[in-house]
Amino acid sequence: MARATIVGAGMTNFGVHERPLPDLFADAAFDAFDDAGVASPEIEALYVGNAMGGMTENDTHLAPTLASHIGCPGVPAQRFEDACATSATAFKHAVEAVESGRHDVVLAGGVERCTPETGLDTAAMTRVFVSAAHRQYEQPAGLTFPGVFALLTKRHMHEYGTTEEHLAEVAVKNHFNGTLNPRAHFGRETSVEKVLDSPIVADPFHLMDCCPFSDGASGIVVASEAAAESFDHPVDVAGVGHATDVVPLADKTDLPATQAARDAASQAYGQANTTADAIDFAEIHDCFTGAEVMATEALGLFEDGAGGPAAAAGRTALDGEVPVNPSGGLKAKGHPIGATGTAQLVELTEQLRGEAGERQLDDPERAVAHNLGGDAATTVVTVMEARQ
Amino acid sequence: MSDTDPSADRLDYVAWADRLRDGELLGQECAECGHTTAAPKAACVRCGSRTLAAVTLPTDGIVHSETTIGVPPEGFDGEYQVAVVRLGDAKVLGRIDGAVDIGDRVSFADVLVADDHPAPVFEPV
Ligand SMILES: [Zn+2]
Repeated sequence: MARATIVGAGMTNFGVHERPLPDLFADAAFDAFDDAGVASPEIEALYVGNAMGGMTENDTHLAPTLASHIGCPGVPAQRFEDACATSATAFKHAVEAVESGRHDVVLAGGVERCTPETGLDTAAMTRVFVSAAHRQYEQPAGLTFPGVFALLTKRHMHEYGTTEEHLAEVAVKNHFNGTLNPRAHFGRETSVEKVLDSPIVADPFHLMDCCPFSDGASGIVVASEAAAESFDHPVDVAGVGHATDVVPLADKTDLPATQAARDAASQAYGQANTTADAIDFAEIHDCFTGAEVMATEALGLFEDGAGGPAAAAGRTALDGEVPVNPSGGLKAKGHPIGATGTAQLVELTEQLRGEAGERQLDDPERAVAHNLGGDAATTVVTVMEARQ
Repeated sequence: MSDTDPSADRLDYVAWADRLRDGELLGQECAECGHTTAAPKAACVRCGSRTLAAVTLPTDGIVHSETTIGVPPEGFDGEYQVAVVRLGDAKVLGRIDGAVDIGDRVSFADVLVADDHPAPVFEPV
């Protein structure tokens, strides 16, 4: 029995948006409502993610603002902040709410603007992002978020022999997939040479190893298993695992293990009564190319240390044994922080229904989404299954 | 409510930062399980004990991981190297003065203050 079902999924294009947060969120929410065939008054609660609106746009207390804007005034509405895992944790609470019987049909989603449309330049936005690193023990050294993942990835390279070329192959794959996704921020291919020739952001990461600053929103209509009967295209949420790891990162026992992902995956696979071997494809939090490599190992898709060579060998390509980030991932689809987690679930929903257009995989039955926050100290892993 | 301040003996951030500004790098050792950290907390991350003793960390260590920041945040000027340095049983994030690789030996050499928050600086030995 599924923990919950997704009966509607929607998102904006990811990229640069002039529209403020409420209008962006409404576009995604209504896309999801129309997909589900529900009207605003049928939504019983709102679980919305926005990580940084207070810092980037002087905009907080968003939950009732957004509920009001989309025709759902008065419902219990709450806003979540868990860095880049913001909307996955919002989704987790939505799943628990329908699973427990508290609600039947709710909306989970996220919205964020990170481009210069906020009025912030690269240095200012880099400072905003590093607010997710430890204020006392990490920020004073001048760490950045690319730097956080560079520290994890350099250790992975040291322990396993992962190379910059392996990392670049992840970017090349995800950029190719992005060319098949009309909602992606980047719709152009790249090459290993172009990645390695791009400027260093935090070594080993070149600019083209890093996801872009994006604006966008996503929304998911979540229904209980019983309520799902009255919808046309439900997809099952078989498991949602959520774990955290020690902060700051120097206190983590094993840097490249990304232990929270291992713990969350173990929970999610257990709830779904499945294993990594039975996963047909994955949407993975590739904020940086090295993050995808470490996540494919943490999720059990490859042995520890095999993630880089697997990507380079095409094993994670659209036609590989376990496609990773068919949407283009954060790298090409874009990364509007608080919208990313539920946008991954939009891709899972569409692929499992067979509605993913040019990038549609061959009849997938089971998929996993991996959304991390901060230095991977928050990770949410979701297993979804097509309805039989 | 207890009649003594439960945090009176604890190495908190303010005390840690004051000592670091004075050139001493302190950490914490758990009296219950022995876990040692360079980033003092209110309770042990391994066992939850609140009985934590301030300890002076070794000044010589090994680079556990490192990166050179090419695009710094507002308030910093690039480029510069940061590293996770293993000091005995603890690991700490710091700035590098010089250039190091993983496995290199470094020594606590200086203190950097950014936005009124100190950070340790290490140099190769
Ligand atoms: Zn302890």
